[in-house]
Amino acid sequence: MDLFPLWLSLQVSIVATAITLVLGVPVAWAFGRRRFPGRDLLAALVITPLVLPPTVLGYYLLVLVGTRGPIGRVLDTVGIELAFTWRGAVLAACVASIPLLIRAAQAGFEAVDPRLEAAARTLGRSEWSVFWSVTLPLAWRAVLAGAVLAFCRAFGDFGITLMVAGSIPGRTQTLPLAIYDHVQANQMPEANTLALLAAGLVVVLLLGLGRFVRLRY
Amino acid sequence: MLSVALTKRLPGFTLDVHWDAPDMVTGLFGPSGSGKTLTLDCLAGLVRPDAGRIVIGDRVLFDAAAGIDVVSRARRLGYVFQGYALFPHLTVADNVAYGLRERPRAERRRRAAEVLARLGLAGLAQRRPAELSGGERQRVALGRALAPEPALLLLDEPFSALDLPLRRALRDDLVGVLREWGTAAVVVTHDFTEAYRLADRIVVYDGGRVVQSAPRAELLWQPASESVARIMGIPNVLQGTVIKATPDRIQLRWRGQTLEAVNSPTRSYLPPPGAPLAFFVRPEYVRLIRKDRMVADLGHHMNLMRGEVVHDEDFGTTWTLRIRLDEPGPPAQGAWDLEVEVPHLVYEILEIERDRRWEFSIHRGSIHVLPS
Repeated sequence: MDLFPLWLSLQVSIVATAITLVLGVPVAWAFGRRRFPGRDLLAALVITPLVLPPTVLGYYLLVLVGTRGPIGRVLDTVGIELAFTWRGAVLAACVASIPLLIRAAQAGFEAVDPRLEAAARTLGRSEWSVFWSVTLPLAWRAVLAGAVLAFCRAFGDFGITLMVAGSIPGRTQTLPLAIYDHVQANQMPEANTLALLAAGLVVVLLLGLGRFVRLRY
Repeated sequence: MLSVALTKRLPGFTLDVHWDAPDMVTGLFGPSGSGKTLTLDCLAGLVRPDAGRIVIGDRVLFDAAAGIDVVSRARRLGYVFQGYALFPHLTVADNVAYGLRERPRAERRRRAAEVLARLGLAGLAQRRPAELSGGERQRVALGRALAPEPALLLLDEPFSALDLPLRRALRDDLVGVLREWGTAAVVVTHDFTEAYRLADRIVVYDGGRVVQSAPRAELLWQPASESVARIMGIPNVLQGTVIKATPDRIQLRWRGQTLEAVNSPTRSYLPPPGAPLAFFVRPEYVRLIRKDRMVADLGHHMNLMRGEVVHDEDFGTTWTLRIRLDEPGPPAQGAWDLEVEVPHLVYEILEIERDRRWEFSIHRGSIHVLPS
């Protein structure tokens, strides 16, 4: 039994979750703490991956990052190829999962009493220091909950990944795509094993973290 | 020396204040929503005023005209927030050391330990704020603000989170800490007793403006106006009519009585005859005349009047009596004319519970006229 799709999916979703955290946490903090021009527009943009049909989203991504797309051409000059590579799958997973992280983390930052941050400022701390010593330590549960949701969403993505990375066995075929292929080929035992592994992983992750770190989703 | 001039427009509220405080402890006193906390936030650099100037000693913290606006973290002010805003994820020791980050590690520990010891918190160093009582939390907040040796301490309603018996004990405590540490402070409170107990000078706020700024004793006896007297919660703020005013006496008519009052020694005030005049009489300065001595002493008593106790309330060591004068017409304060306070012992000796009709007198020095 070929477990490559499982390892690829784990690799893609771990990398995607890391990227999502790095990009999403500052955005979530800005939404939770700052008023800035274009805030409403950006908020709408963040929601779109949740409401657009995945194939539509995937189609537009492909148009952008394909070898003839505007972003694809720029990346091509520095030797990075996204479309139909595992990196494309990471991009798809990031786009799919970042709204979940941003929404959870934003709620967490909003729940931190602004007076605590004000107190930190009067005690001589810079904004950077206030964030690391007060805001994040008080909101980390929400950020972690958002990261878990983002990971699970990244792990399970089907439509966007199919459009951007394709379903090349041994190269870009992630676990959900492999299950679909097995079913198409009437290989039920293989489909069954992969589906159980996927379901088991998500349940263990959600319940385990929920139990030990008392996360609320 | 602290000099504050601020204008800040918010939706539905404008703060426009100017006061100077040469004293150690300044009280900002006034009703809720009068702009006291907003003033502290402006002082701390958490809110940016539209215009004005803030100077502590020789340091200009804010000057709209000169474009100076020192950031919060560089102002060196200790802010004790209402409800304290302690960091819930840090221990007491880490809360107190939080503002000492600029110092070397050893110095940081030494200073935090010193502050904890001086405030009697040494045994609680490893606790978290959630495990502390209200009084302990207040001390931690005080310690956290004092540890970096601020140029000025800001305290916002420091007792609002505490029960009444604790409030009194901690009020005296705080007076001691402020004197002992020698840190200048601005204390916000809506309780006049608290302001009087803590502050040398009291600035009275109302609707975003300063209505009076005076040393506490002056404010107590000479509120600048009727509205200040009402904000202070003084009972028996009354309206009379001037009969005659001279630099040392004012004669006035009130509820069919002719009252004689001493004119204010510092702000001698000469309203024309017939002018309306507000005045107040402190309830503990109205004298009940003992019936067994009345005939002999009658000549001594000034501003004599007669009335009936229509209502009384037991405050434990004192009783508050509400008196309706024997005069036709509506009483001055709803169902009664005067509020009188007598010690519990007097209430018992004179058998006021049974005997409701009395004669009263008010010394002319106890009628305080209020400039309009």
